Formats: sequence, C-alpha cells, structure tokens
Amino acid sequence: MSSSAATDGRYRVLREAIERAAHLLPAQGPITVFIHHNTLHAFEDLPFDQALEHGTQIFGGEPYLPESSYRDALTAGRIRADDLWAVLEDDLGISAVDGVARLVSRIDLRLAMLQYPLRSGPAEELSWFVAMTDALQRVSPMASVAVKQKLIAETRRWVMRDLRGRNGTTVARRQPDWVNALFEKFGESRIESWSAETWEAVALEALWHVCREGVQAVPEFTEAPSIPLRHRDLLLQMTGIDIDLLVNPILIRFSAAFVDQGVAHWVLPDREKGFFQAFASLYRKRASPVPWLRRLAREMARLQDAQTSALDSILESLAALGVPESAWDTFLEETLLSLRGWAGIIQQIEIRGDRVPHAIPAGTLTEFLAVRLLLERFALIDASQQTLGYTGPLASLRDELRKRCPRSATSSEQQRAFSVFELAQVLGWPPDRLLRRTAEEWADLIREIEAFGGIQRRRALHAAYEKRFREQALDALALHAPQPAPATPRFQVITCLDEREESFRRHLEEAASDCETFSAAGFFGVAMYYRGSADAHFVPLCPIVIQPRHYVEERSDDAVPDAHRRRQARRLMGTVFHNIHRGTRGILTGAFLTAALGVLATIPLIARTLSPRLAAGIRARLARFVHPPRTRLGLERSAGTPGSQGEHLGYTSDEMTDLAERQLRDIGLLQNFSRLVLFIGHGSRSMNNPHASAYDCGACGGSAGGANARAIAAMLNDGRVRAGLAHRGLVIPADTWFLGALHNTCDETLRVFDEDLLPGTHRADLDYARTAIEQALGGNAHERCRRFESAPLTLTFAGAREHVENRSEDLAQVRPEMGHATNAICIVGRRQRTRGLFLDRRAFLVSYDPTRDDAEATILARVLAAAVPVCAGISLEYYFCRVDSTGWGCGTKLPHNITSLVGVMDGAASDMRTGLPWQMVEIHEPMRLLIVVETTPAVIVNLMSRNAAIDRLVRNRWVRLAVLDPHSSRIELFEYRKFFPYQPVAERLPTAESSVDWYRGWRDHLEFAEVGKCYQSHKVVEV
Amino acid sequence: MEIAAVLGPIVLLSPALLLAVLGSSSMIDRPLPERNINGLARLTMVTGLLAALGVLMAMLIEGTRLVTVLSAEWIRLPHYHFVLKFVFDRLSVPLVILTFLLCGVIVSFATRYMHRERGYNRFFTLFAIFIVGMVTACLAGTIETLFVGWELVGLSSALLVAFLQERPAPVRSGLHIWIIYRVSDAALLLAAILMHHMLGEGDFGRLLATNSLHPWPEGATVATAVQALVIGLLLVIAAAGKSALVPFSGWLPRAMEGPTPSSAVFYGALSVHLGAFLLLRMNPLLVASHALALLVIVLGLVTAIYAHLVGSVQTDIKSVLSFASLTQVGLIVAEIGLGAWIPALWYVALAHLLGHACVRTLQFVRAPMLLQDYRRLEGAIGGRLRRPDARYLHLLPVRFRSWIYIFALERGYLDSILMEFVVAPFVNLFRGFDKIERQWGDFLAGRRPSAASTTSAQAQPVADVARPVP
Repeated sequence: MSSSAATDGRYRVLREAIERAAHLLPAQGPITVFIHHNTLHAFEDLPFDQALEHGTQIFGGEPYLPESSYRDALTAGRIRADDLWAVLEDDLGISAVDGVARLVSRIDLRLAMLQYPLRSGPAEELSWFVAMTDALQRVSPMASVAVKQKLIAETRRWVMRDLRGRNGTTVARRQPDWVNALFEKFGESRIESWSAETWEAVALEALWHVCREGVQAVPEFTEAPSIPLRHRDLLLQMTGIDIDLLVNPILIRFSAAFVDQGVAHWVLPDREKGFFQAFASLYRKRASPVPWLRRLAREMARLQDAQTSALDSILESLAALGVPESAWDTFLEETLLSLRGWAGIIQQIEIRGDRVPHAIPAGTLTEFLAVRLLLERFALIDASQQTLGYTGPLASLRDELRKRCPRSATSSEQQRAFSVFELAQVLGWPPDRLLRRTAEEWADLIREIEAFGGIQRRRALHAAYEKRFREQALDALALHAPQPAPATPRFQVITCLDEREESFRRHLEEAASDCETFSAAGFFGVAMYYRGSADAHFVPLCPIVIQPRHYVEERSDDAVPDAHRRRQARRLMGTVFHNIHRGTRGILTGAFLTAALGVLATIPLIARTLSPRLAAGIRARLARFVHPPRTRLGLERSAGTPGSQGEHLGYTSDEMTDLAERQLRDIGLLQNFSRLVLFIGHGSRSMNNPHASAYDCGACGGSAGGANARAIAAMLNDGRVRAGLAHRGLVIPADTWFLGALHNTCDETLRVFDEDLLPGTHRADLDYARTAIEQALGGNAHERCRRFESAPLTLTFAGAREHVENRSEDLAQVRPEMGHATNAICIVGRRQRTRGLFLDRRAFLVSYDPTRDDAEATILARVLAAAVPVCAGISLEYYFCRVDSTGWGCGTKLPHNITSLVGVMDGAASDMRTGLPWQMVEIHEPMRLLIVVETTPAVIVNLMSRNAAIDRLVRNRWVRLAVLDPHSSRIELFEYRKFFPYQPVAERLPTAESSVDWYRGWRDHLEFAEVGKCYQSHKVVEV
Repeated sequence: MEIAAVLGPIVLLSPALLLAVLGSSSMIDRPLPERNINGLARLTMVTGLLAALGVLMAMLIEGTRLVTVLSAEWIRLPHYHFVLKFVFDRLSVPLVILTFLLCGVIVSFATRYMHRERGYNRFFTLFAIFIVGMVTACLAGTIETLFVGWELVGLSSALLVAFLQERPAPVRSGLHIWIIYRVSDAALLLAAILMHHMLGEGDFGRLLATNSLHPWPEGATVATAVQALVIGLLLVIAAAGKSALVPFSGWLPRAMEGPTPSSAVFYGALSVHLGAFLLLRMNPLLVASHALALLVIVLGLVTAIYAHLVGSVQTDIKSVLSFASLTQVGLIVAEIGLGAWIPALWYVALAHLLGHACVRTLQFVRAPMLLQDYRRLEGAIGGRLRRPDARYLHLLPVRFRSWIYIFALERGYLDSILMEFVVAPFVNLFRGFDKIERQWGDFLAGRRPSAASTTSAQAQPVADVARPVP
C-alpha cells in the first residue's frame, strides 16, 4: 500500500518534471498555419534582459546582436555616444562616478569598453597575437593621437628618470628581468637617440609586462562553468564522441514517420498504439547489424512483453543512468531540448489535434522522452566502452566521467592582462601608473572589467540602439501636427493594422486627399471557421487566442449555367495531377511517366524559371475554365446553434449586428460615413515557400483576410443589421455601401468581392476609389522595391508593379516580400495623429478614438487585448530570429526540406527547424516594440491592472509603452513601474512633398518625416 | 562535318571559360559581383546549348553519326599513350544538350535563389566545375578523358553538399559522399589501367570499335568474354558508386544537405545518371559478356525495388524524390543490361534517362511548394487527399510487414553494413599494421613498448570511423 503510494508520488513528480520541461519547447505548430509568438514565451514572467540571459543559458542562442554589429551602428551614427552615456548613467546611478583603482571612473571605463572592441580569446590566440602582430610595436589604432602621445611621452620620462638611472647610479641590477631585457633589446647605450618608433615599442613592451605582472595575484571572480549534467555532454567533452549523432537520426526518422500527415506512402505500423508501442514493435526486431541496436532490440522486446508503460520506462532509464530525483528537472529539460524542434512539434500536434488531419494521442511527448532515454542508454554503454574501455554500470558512468573531466579555468591570466593592456592604450594609462597600483587595486580593476562582460556590454549597446530609435519615433509623434480628416470623405477604407499597410494607406491618402482611412485587426471582428469554394476544409480566420464558434462557407453561385461542369472539371484535374505526382514515385508508373512524357517537364521548368510572370499569366488563363465563376458567402444561419453542417453555418442577424457595431465602434467610425466604404483584408501569394503562411495576416491566424473583409461588408449592407444598428444609435446613411476586398501584399493587386451587387448609383464612386487605389498600389510597390537589392532604384511605378508580380510568381524567389521585417512601433489612436507622417512601413497602426470611449476605456481595453499580443508576438519573433538566425530562427531557406507536412528540416535528418528563415528577417532591426497609445497614463494603468497579459509584457519590458495625450502633443513613457514625461530631442521633422520624394534613391531605413504638399508649402528654412 | 567540327569545341570551351573566369577570380580573392557572375553564367550556358544544338543539326543534315573534335595526344610512351579526345554521337549529343538545358535553367534559378548568400561566388564556381566535368564526361572519347570529367563531377558534388559549411552535418555528409566517390573512382581508374594493360588501348573508338561506320550503339569490343567481365565489373562498381546503386545508396539522402538548386540538378538529374551513362557508353562489353549483362540487370532491379521500398516510407519531400529518382535509375540500369539481348532497349534507356532527368529537376525545384500544392489539390478534389497506402502491401503476410517496414525505414541498413563489415575491418586491419610497425620499431630501437603505441588514444578514431555518421 505504502509502496504504491510512493510509486504514485514518483509518477506525479515525474509528470510534473516533464511538464515543466515541455513548457520550454518551441510553441510553433504545423507550418501551414504560422502563428507569430514570443520565442522566449517560457520566460515572459521575467524582465526582458534577465529572461534573455536565462534563456541564452538554457537554449544556447544569442541574446543580442554581435558586438561588432552594434559598433558598426555606432560608427554609422545609428547609436550615438550620448545614448551610450545615458544608458550607462541609467545603469550605474550614483556609483557612475566612483573611481576604479584610482585610474578611471566606472562610467568612463565602461564607456571605453563599449566604444572600443577589446580582443578576447583563448590564451594561445592572444599569445600569438602579441608575438606575431605589431601589438607591441604600434599603439592600438583605436587610441586617439593625444592619448597615444601622452602615453609615449610619460613612459619615456619614466624610463629615463626611474629605470635607467637613479641619482646618477645605474640600478640595473635591482630592476626586474624584463626591464633589463628591454634595455638589451633596444640597446640602452643609444637610448638618447632612440627614434619615436622605438619609444612607442618600449612603451608598449613595458605596458605589457606591467599588465602581466599586475594580474598575477588577482583571484578568480566568476564561477567556473558547471560540469554538464547530461552524460552525452560529459562524454563529448571527454572524448569528442557525440552519442547524439547515434541517437538523433533514429529518433528523427521514427518521429517523422509517426507524425507524418501524408508524405509517406506507407503508414507506420501500429501507429494507432502510440509512439512507445509503435517504436517497440518495430525496434524489437533484431534486424540491425549494429551491435548496440541489437542490444536495444532485446530490451524493447522485454519492455513490450512485460507491458511496461512509457512512464515506468522513464523511471527505469533515470535509475539506470544514475540520475537522482533532485536532478530530474534539469536532466529531463536538457534531454528534451536536445531535439527541441521535434519534441516541440510533437507537443503542439498532441495539444492541437484539430489542426492536423491525423492527430496523435495525448502523452506522446512522454513516450518520445522514454524512447529517447532508451536510445541514449544503449548508445552510451556502447560509446563509453569503445572509447574509454568503461564496462562498469551505467549509473556510475557520470561520476566516472566527472572524475576524469578536467576543470577548466574561467579566465586566463593572458586574457586579463590583455584587456588591461588594451584599455591602458585607449585610456592613456602609462606603465608607471599601473605599476604603482596595489594588489587590491588590481583586483578592483579586474573585477570591474569582468563584471562588464560580453553580454553586459551587448545589453548596454542594445539599450542605446533602442533608445535612439525610440527618441526618433516619439519625436515624430510629438512634433507632427495633427492633420484633420477630410470633412466629407469621398470614400473610406479600413485596412488591417499590419505595418505593411501603413505605406498603402499613406499612398492612398496622397493619391486621394479626400479619402479617409482606418485600421483594425485584420479579421475585422469576424472570428470564423471559413471554407472557400476552392478549399477542402474549414480554417480558422481569427487570432490564435480566439476559438471561433461560427462556420462560413463560400458557395459557387449555382445560378451560373456551367458551375457544375466547372466543379467536375476541377475535381478531374485535381485527381489527374495528384495521380501524376504519386505516379512518378512508383516503379512502373514512374517508368512510363518519365520515359514517355518526361521531356514535357522541360516546358514548365523553362517557362517558370525564365519568365515567371508570363508563365503565371498562361496558367491563370487556363485555370479560368475550371474556377468557380461567381461565389457568395453563406453568411445567414437559419437553424439554432452555430455549427459546421448545413443549416448551422453562418450568423443570425442579431449576431451580425453585434459584430458590426463592435467593429465600427472600435475604429471610431460612427458618423460622417461616405457613400463607399471598403474593408480591405490582406494576404500574400508566393511560390515555393513553406513559410508562406508567415507572410499572411497574423490576425487571421496566418491566412489571407479577404473573407473576413467580405463578410463584414456583407453584414453591414444587410438591411436588418442597419436597422438594428440604428436602433442602437448608430445610423448608417441609406446611400452608404460597403465592399470587401483583398490586398495581395506580395504582388500588389487588389481584388474586390461581390462587386456585382454594388448598386449602379455607386459605380462612379467605386471607379473613383479604384483609380486612387491603383495609384496607391503602384506607389506601394515602388516603395517596397527600394528594399529589394535586385530591383533597380530607378524603377517607375509600373516597373515596380511588374517587379513585384514577378517576385510573387517566381519559383526561385526566396524573398517574395519582406514580411513584417522592420516593424518597430505600434500606434493606437486616431489617424489624424499620424496622417501625413512617413512611418517607413515600420508602424502597426490601430484606429482608436479616445474621444468616443467611455470612462472605463472599454473600447481601448478590447482593442489592446487583440492588438498587443499579436503585435508583440510578431515583434519578438522577429527580434529573436534576427539576432540569432540559426539559434532561434530556422536559418537560411536554402537547405530547407518539408517534412511530414508539418515543418522543415535542414537537409534530410536534422532537428525540426522552428522560427523564421534568415531571408525574412535580414533587413529587420531587432528592437522591442514601442507601443504608443493615444490616451492618458491613468487610463492605461487602470487598464493594465485588468489585463494580466499586457501588464506582464509592459512591466517586464518585453514591449515599451508610451501614451500620447489626446488633446496635446505631450508624451509620457513608461519606465520602471510608472510614466515619465518625454522631452522631444529634435526641434522639427524633415519634410518632403510626397512619400516618393522622401524615400527615393535610398535602400536603408529612413528617418520619419512629414510628407505632403501642405508641409512643403510652409517649409521653414532648414539648417 | 565542318560545321560540327567548328561548333564542337565551343560546346566544350564555353563552360571552360566560365570556370576559368570564376576560378581565377576566386583564386586571387577578387570574386566578381553577383551581376557579372549571372551574366557570364547565362551567356556561357546559352552559347554551349546553341553550339550543342548546332552540332546536332549539322549531324542530322549531313547524316553523320560520329564527330570527333579536339583530339590530341598528350603523352606518348613506348607502351602507353594518353589521348584527349571528344566525340559527338547518338549518346553524347542528347546528354550534352540535356546538361546545358538543365544547368542553364538551374543557373538562372540560382541567380535568384542564392541572391545575397555568402558563398554566392563559391556556389557558381563549384557549379562551373560541375558543368565542365559533366560535359567532359559526356563527350569523352577515351577512358582517361572520361575519368577527368568523372573526377570533376565528384569533387564539385561533394563540395556542394558541404556548401553550408558553418554547420557540421553538411560537411560530414559531403565527406561521406566524397569517400564513396573515391571508391568508385578507384574502380574506374583500375578499369582504365586494366584496359590499357589487356588491350593496350583506352580509346573507346578502338576498344569498342565504334567508328563512323559503326557508331554508338553498334560497336563491338575486341575484348574476350573474361576481359569484358573483369573490366565490366570494375565499371559496374564505378557506376554503382556514382549512381547510388545498391549497396552504395546510403549517400543519396545525405546529398540533400546542399542548397535546393544543386540537389535538384545533381541528385535528381545529372550526376545520379552518370553511372548509367557509363554503362551505356560501354555497351559492347555487355554483349561480350552475358554474365556481366545479367549482373547489371540484377543490380538495376534490386536497386529499383530497394529504392521503391525505402522511398515509400520516407517522410521528407527531398528524400522521397531522391529515392523515387533512384528507383528509375535502377530501372534504367536494368534496361541497359537487357540491351545486350535487345539493342533497341539502349535507346529506350537513353530516352528514359532524358525524360527522367527533366521530371526530377522540375520536381526538385518545386519541392518547397509541397504544402501549397497539397492544399491546392485538396481544394480541387474537395477533400483530404487519400492517405496513400501502397497497395501491394496488402499482399504481404502481416508478420513480414513490420520487418520490411523497418528495413525500409532504416534504408536497408546499407550504411551500417558497409560500416560494420567493410570500413571497420579495413580500418582495424590497418591499425593492426600500424601497431605491428610500432612494436617492430620499438624492438629494433631497443625501446620498451611506449604507451603511445598501445593506448586508447589510438582507439578513438576507430570508433569515429566505424560509426554510421548521420
């Protein structure tokens, strides 16, 4: 009885340990639906910088850009020395002016360490550097001329006065050896005729010797790196043999077969019995010629015959490996993370079985872990015997390895001496001054230097990097004079809050100054499962945090005569293509298809490679025969509860009224409706792109948002909805018509839905709007092209559109568009605060009218609840994938290989790669999102207290928050628990007549500017 | 005849020019800008292709079936001469056109796919080596010339697999492939030496008696059945290594570590067919020795069945495609073997090879499109794609299914078998020699056996080599 209670207890402890470890795994699900999320989501409870340090230790990625990148930014003026100073002052507080070893103040020391790259490396490398370069002949080129002169002059004085002779007597005998050696080397007899170069070399040699002597007695400050926990790491360190190279290929092959959603023609036997059983059934066969796998087979047979559960097997393995219960947490964590991509995808599919066609049972991750530990055990036995001749029990292998493992020192003397040597040159500490330091002072100096190590320096540099941008952004908002919306807008447009639509809106407003634009999360409040007429399944079109209740279907209009024929033809074509695809994998079908028809493959191959746009045009023309001609959304529900079948599809008119009201109130569009209002969702079409979903609308769960725009427009045109709205005090004029549309952000086309329903009276309005939109699309394409190195800067608008169309259809294009790259700000407020401001496609814009909100800020609460997690997720994912592309992201696209229809690997046997590819994030500036809300501090503090998610992100500084006063240009920035007023740095913004006048001819990031004729006309004299 | 003789050298020289320019600029560490590399690569590919088409036209119009160009004697010794010689015939012309066509498409593809990649220049330089090797091998008129091309193809393939050299896995795979290639190269080299030794000739024209009266595939060898079998066996080993036939198939999925365009054109289309090409070139040997022909048939069929089985359990698109590719290569090899009895099958094999190369290239470059394709197909069909389950499996007894499944999942254990039963004994043998030598040395020097000659410090690399490297 008690023993079973004890076992239950151990089960519980183990389950919890696995759960905690699993929490660290990447949260990316199947790649067909790409949801942006914070890569370090597991540490959101910690402050940003702390989480980064912690996460880096656990996951091994880089927390910030490399130091050299920040230094380049410093040289380019992207970071200013002032910003560095401010950041350090902020860090150090009053201790900034404390002296270090009576040589320098702390802040000066740190500033020097930030400004000058100090060489670090293994002792051997530094010795080589000193011996083989001119490090001891020429003062570092980083030192200023004045400092260099002073250093040499003071050394010279010291040598002449104190070393060479004292009171006329030669004291050479009492000098340290190195001094004698120095005199000997340079020839003391000629000392008075030593050249400037000689003195420079003497100064440096003396300095180097003083530094080396000085650091000798300094104790260790940093703790030695802990001895690794996993047997594999120890063995690798000891022998260079990596058992993961034995374990991973087997586990990867098997996991891929287990989660496969339809690539393989042959389904894994016993898949339905679960991961552990399926593995046991297969690997109990003693088929392998490899001895350790044959031993594993015997064990698998034993386990399966004894009906051992996965959990029991883990307990057995932990005992066999000699891992005590106290170390379970860390050990299991490290074990799971060693193949984190696969473990993560298994966890995701296990949790969200609804997102894949072939779900996997609960508990699969545990079974995966059990299998991993079994494989590791047998590989370890084999490897330790082969390499170390170790034949004892596995449980004591770790102790054995630890005993043999040499403890490595953390910092070498060489390194310490070299750091001081370099600092002395840039800060101008002559050797005699250093020579006079006491042992305590040397220790003090070294401690100070080591306390400001690589990560700390990068943190400070990064803070300055962000600070500079933050000031520019806040300045722009503070200095920009609000530009009122047109009194009687000719047409109104509501786009997604996506930062890619910022430029579209700007170009649109430039093209038609009588147009008013709004933006909202791109699902426009319509959270639904949607099935397009060309889709096989329902997909959720809403942010990932929402689980939709309603189902909507696009139906082909059967009134059109040949709708049925087209559907048949489409099905036939699909079947034919599918069978060809399968057939080329067969033996005989493959032989027939390749031998007889193979040469035909050259036609699409050549056409699509050489002229993607032309080939796409031809294909589109052919496809026209089979596409459903005209469709309608089935929005209206006739039966009781919402569901995915027949009469349960759709919304009731009351539900529609609720949705419509909420959407209009969110964006503050309550009156002054124009005759035509367009809701524009967005999506991105590209070829050969496993990450295509990451380019689509994040607010639509990684799909295109056209259907949502179409749905909200249809609802708002509904007479009953309008009556309901009027009843609630929201009167839409009878002559206002809504249209839904889809903006393709890749090829810059706009597709308007249900155009045939538009009343004839509004035809002219649409024509007017369309002309402006086409112009805006051209401008947008043009502005985007400045970022593509392969697009000439001299492109015309038409040329730019052609260029982006080609990109969209090109099989070889790894950068169809830049996605969310460069996103940096999120502005929640009225468009008039940003209209006429060139925000360089870097700002998420959320329409919100503080003057129409209630005292509780109900509207703001729900707007932020939807927008902040989405935008912060995007921003943080881009941050991590940019600072370390291979560590946090999935590296370059070149070797990507779609696996099991759920993700990509590098090549044929790597971990599942999660995150964003390098080509997507290349031009991104990794920074935390700056959220600016048009409201007052009191309102937002109150709101944060009600929304834990936002509160956590803001207080832990995963995003930065500022408020813009609704009635003035006053800005307050949230720093350490409260708001502080922000003082603009700049006095006025640059101006330009139009967007193109501002960005023309420039590929890099641009300053924010006021664009528009009005600014140019009262242009003041610029300095 | 004259037009072909003029155009022929252009076919060879245009890729050589590309290599010369890219190679020399890399050598002096002044890589050309992307734009210039693109322009030059396209220009040389188009020139090469047009020249090859011109040769074809000229040969068709004039009715010649064999054109020899750039024939030059390099070395002449009393018992040996080394001749560089290139021939255009019914085998080499289609292949060389295919090479230019696919390489040209891939060059155009890569100019965008590799844009802004570090190593852009390296990629194109290696690609140029590959094209030169491929063209040389296709047009080779002597076995020495063939060997030169064969080597260049192997070298560039291995280096392109290891293209992403920052990660360990591609480098490891590149090394693995390089080792397999060395084995096959050694076999080819031995075959060349044997040919000289037995027949005093490395020239296909004389060895295989192909001349303007009896151009390919009508040649007949002067070798006896035994000579044909011995030389043929070595050539089969060479072909098996290059074309990833059993038992060398393990390297094929590893080759997918490289960038998509090079995987496409190498392992989908060109170098994987080079082994089959070698057998086609040596077709008279098959007629001379029916035992050899039978062996080739069996090897081809075994490979086809093996690759099909393994391919049907692969879960990543590139492995699926590479094993599908291997299935067809196996069949092509079997067709070539059968050609000993039915010579028309050689033409079939050639057509099969050409068509197959085109299909696979298209499939490989579209591989990243898989998810989008599936979605579109599902939409067209109006439901989930039928979970494909190979139909013949139901014919197997249930008991055997999981045996065959694990055999397929573990890729037939071919790598493990090679490692356990070939590589490890080989390495151990030489380690044994090393040990004896040290002891002998110690004994002669009158030293006690030093620790270094016996300890485990030596054992480490053994284990390293004897392990299947993932």
